[in-house]
Amino acid sequence: MKVSRNWLQKYFDTPLPSTEALSEALTFHAFEIEEATEDMLDVKVLPNRAADCLSHRGIARELSAILNLSLASDPLREALQGSTLFPNSKVVPNSKVEPCNALRVEIEDPKKCSRYMGALVRGVKVRPSPDWLREALEAVGQRSINNIVDATNYVMLNIGQPLHAFDAAKLIQKEGKYAIGVRSAKEGEKVTTLSGEEYALTPNIQLITDAHADTPIALAGVKGGEAAELTGETTDIIVESANFDGTTTRRAAQALKLFTDASLRFQNRPSPDLCAYGMREVLALITEIAGPVKGEAPRGAGVEVVAVVDEYPTRPAQDGEVSVTLTKVNGVLGAGFSQEEVEDVFRRLGLPAVCESQTFTVTPPFERTDLTIPEDLVEEVGRIVGYDKIPAAELSPLGGMPDQARYRGIEKMKDQLAVQGFTEVSTQSFAKKGDIVLANPLDKNMPALRVSLDENMEAAMERATYVAPLVLAPHERPRLFEIGTVFPKEGERLAIKTSEPVSDVLEIKDELGYAPMRYELGAYQPFSVYPFITRDIAFWADDGFTKSIIGENAGTLLVRSDQFDRFEKEGRISYAFRLVFQSMERTLTDEEVNGVMEKISAALAAKGYEVR
Amino acid sequence: MNQPGRLHPISIAIREAADIFGRMGFGIAYGPELEDDWHNFTALNVPEDHPARDMQDTFWVKDKPGSVLRTHATSVTMRKLEEMAKTGITEMRCINPGKIFRNEATDMTHEAQFYQLDGFAIGPTGSVTLAHLKGTFEKFYREYFGPDAKVRFRPSFFGFTEPSVETDVWFEVPGKEGRWLETAGAGMLHPNVLRNAGLDPEKFQGFAFGGGLERLMMIKYGIPDIRLFHTGDIRFNYAFDELRRQGVGAPTEASGKPI
Repeated sequence: MKVSRNWLQKYFDTPLPSTEALSEALTFHAFEIEEATEDMLDVKVLPNRAADCLSHRGIARELSAILNLSLASDPLREALQGSTLFPNSKVVPNSKVEPCNALRVEIEDPKKCSRYMGALVRGVKVRPSPDWLREALEAVGQRSINNIVDATNYVMLNIGQPLHAFDAAKLIQKEGKYAIGVRSAKEGEKVTTLSGEEYALTPNIQLITDAHADTPIALAGVKGGEAAELTGETTDIIVESANFDGTTTRRAAQALKLFTDASLRFQNRPSPDLCAYGMREVLALITEIAGPVKGEAPRGAGVEVVAVVDEYPTRPAQDGEVSVTLTKVNGVLGAGFSQEEVEDVFRRLGLPAVCESQTFTVTPPFERTDLTIPEDLVEEVGRIVGYDKIPAAELSPLGGMPDQARYRGIEKMKDQLAVQGFTEVSTQSFAKKGDIVLANPLDKNMPALRVSLDENMEAAMERATYVAPLVLAPHERPRLFEIGTVFPKEGERLAIKTSEPVSDVLEIKDELGYAPMRYELGAYQPFSVYPFITRDIAFWADDGFTKSIIGENAGTLLVRSDQFDRFEKEGRISYAFRLVFQSMERTLTDEEVNGVMEKISAALAAKGYEVR
Repeated sequence: MNQPGRLHPISIAIREAADIFGRMGFGIAYGPELEDDWHNFTALNVPEDHPARDMQDTFWVKDKPGSVLRTHATSVTMRKLEEMAKTGITEMRCINPGKIFRNEATDMTHEAQFYQLDGFAIGPTGSVTLAHLKGTFEKFYREYFGPDAKVRFRPSFFGFTEPSVETDVWFEVPGKEGRWLETAGAGMLHPNVLRNAGLDPEKFQGFAFGGGLERLMMIKYGIPDIRLFHTGDIRFNYAFDELRRQGVGAPTEASGKPI
C-alpha cells in the first residue's frame, strides 16, 4: 500500500517527521516498508491488518500510536448521522432522500455479499478532478480519471472501502426505479470491463447487474464494466459501497487474473460496517467536487443525493470484548511492563479499554477485526512499546540429554562415507517419473517425486567426472554419495546412494553417543561456468626448483596445479605437473593456453631446466 | 587412496546448529516431506481458504487431495507437540532441519526446494517467553556468525504464532560495513496450535521459529546464489576451503590449490 506523507499529514495537527523517520517507526512497530521516497512510503501491510490498514486512515492510526501524536480527526469515529441512509447528514447538504423509492437492490446470496449500499445521485458533472485530488492520487501512483472515479478511489485509499460509480442512464428504469442485482455469473456469460477486456465467466464469479435487464454491469468486488461506464454526458450516477466475501473475491480475481485495489481489499475481509463510512465520505466528496463550478449553470438542481439504499441481510456477530491480564502480558513477552505502560498502549491505539484489578478489557472498534484473543492484545503491547524493550533471557537447563539420536545416526553414515573418499551431493527431489505425481509441478518435465537417488547420482557422477581435474588430484577419481528422501509407492524413506559399491552396510541406525566430525569452512570462492583446459608439463630440474616458477609465469588463468610425478635420475630430478586453465569470463582457446604454456616453458628453460 | 570426501555444506551447517542448540537442550526432530494438510496447514492455524494454500505457493499431489509437499518444517513441530500431548511430557525443545518446498519461480534468492532450520521450545506457562526466544537467538547467532552478531525483532504475522516477529541479525564481514539481515520468522505458539496438538494453552507456552538454512550460509560465506546448493555439482563442495576438521581423523593439508 503506497501512502503519501502529505496525505497522512491531514490526520495530524502537528507536523509529521520525515518519511525516513516514519519508515523507521512503522518498520519496528507495525509494518515493513518496501520503498520510501520524499513523500511516499510503500507499506507492506501484514495480512492480519489488511482489513483496516490498506488505507491512509489505518496507517495514520498506527503512526498516531507509535509516535504518540493524537489524531486531529478520525472519519471512522465520527458518528453516522441518523440512520445509514443519511437523511439529515450535514455532509450531504442537498439530499432529499426518500428511502428506496428510486433504487432497489437484490442480493442473491448474502454469504457472498453481506452488505450492499447504493446511492442514486443526480446532477453531477463529470470533468477533470480538482488539482488537490489529482495530486493526491498521483502521489501514491494512481492515475487520475475524472472527478467521480477519482472520488471513489480517493475514499478507498483514504479509509479502505472500495467504491464504484455507474452511469444510471445506462440502466433500465421501471416505474421510476433502478434495480441493482448481485448474483453468480452464468456459465459462459461475458463481461467487458472498463479497460475494454472481455472476460468469459463461470458461476463462482459474482456479478453486479442491472436487475431489470439482468445484464452484468460489473465484476463484483473486482472491476467495473463498460456497460455502465461514466462519460462526459453522465448526469445521474449510482454509487456502490458494498462488502463482498473475501474468499469469493480472491478466487474470482485469480480465475480472471485480474487483481485490483478493490479485490485486494475485499479478500482481506474489511468489516461491512465500513460501507456506511465509505458511502458518507464519497457522497460528501462528490457533492463537493461534481457540482457546478463558478459561473456554470447547474445540471438540474445541482448535485442531489436522491436515494440511499442499504441492503444489509447478515450483520456480523459483534465480537465484543477481549480481556488480558497484566500477568499474561508479561508472562508471554517475558517483560516487566507496568499497568500504566499497558494502558498507555491501548490509549495510543484508540482501543477503548478498562482496567480492573490488573485485567484489561478491550472493546475493539469495528475495523479491528484482528483483535479476538488475549494474545492479540499481548502483541499490541509488545510491538507498540517496542520489541527492543524485551530483554534477552536464557532458557533454564533441561534435565537429561536432548534427543539427537537419529541425527547422530545419519551424520555417522555421512562421516563413514566421507572418510572413504566419498563427497556428498544434494540433488532435486523432482523427477521425470515416479509413483507420486504433483498436481501442479513447477517444471512440466519433472512432474513426479523421485523413487530413488539413482538417476540423479548418474547425472552428478557424469558431471563430477568431467570437473574432476578442477577439484581432485590426478590420481583421484570422484566418488559421490547422497542421503536423501525418496518417494516410492510404499511410502517415503531416507535413502543412501553411493557412486560405487562400498563394503559398509548402508543402514542408518540411531546413535546416542556418536560425535559427528565438525568442519570450519572459509569464504565461498566462486567457480567459473566456462570450460577448462588441462595441460601436462614434465621437465628435468635440480634441487633449486620451486613450483612458484610455474605460478609466477602462468598468470591468472591457472586455476589449479598438481604435481603427479617426481623421480630422480643421474643427479637430476624429473617433475610432472598437471595444470588446469579456466577463465571466469569466457571460454578459453587452445591458442591462448599454448601461449601460457610457452611462457612457462621459456621460464623453465631460462633456469636451465629441460622441458620434456 | 583418495583424500577424504567433502560433506555438503548444508550438512556442515546442520552440524553447527545441532551443536549450538544441543547445548541449549534442543533435540533434533525429523518428519515427512510429503505431509498431510493437517500438519502442514490446518493444525497450524492456517485456515481452509488461506492464500498460502493456493496452487501458486504449495505443491499438491495429483489425485490425492490433502497431500502436500511440506511448505515449512513447522509441520515437524506440530508432530512433536502431538507427541508431547500423547506422552504427557511437559517440556520439549527441538530443531527440525529439513527440506521444504515452495511452488514459486526461482531466482538468486528463491528456490522451489530448500532447507529450513525450524525449531521450537515449549514448557509450562511462563517458562518459555518471547524474551527466551531473543536469548536463544542471540546465543545461536553469536556462535554461528561471530561475537558481534546482534538480534532484533520486528512485528510480523504467521498463523501459528501470536505475537509474531521477524528476526534480523547484525552481521559484520571483516573489512566491510555491518548490516542487518532478515534471517527467520518466529513468535509465540498460537493457542489454537497448542489446542490442535491436544495441549492446554492455559498450561503450556512456547516459541517457534523457522528460516532458510541456505540463507544463513549465503550470509556467512558470501554465497551469491541459492541455486548453487542442490544441483549435485561437487564444485560447490570444493568452493570453500576446509579450514579445520574436528573429530575423527586429523586435519589434512589442502592440496591442489593454485600455487
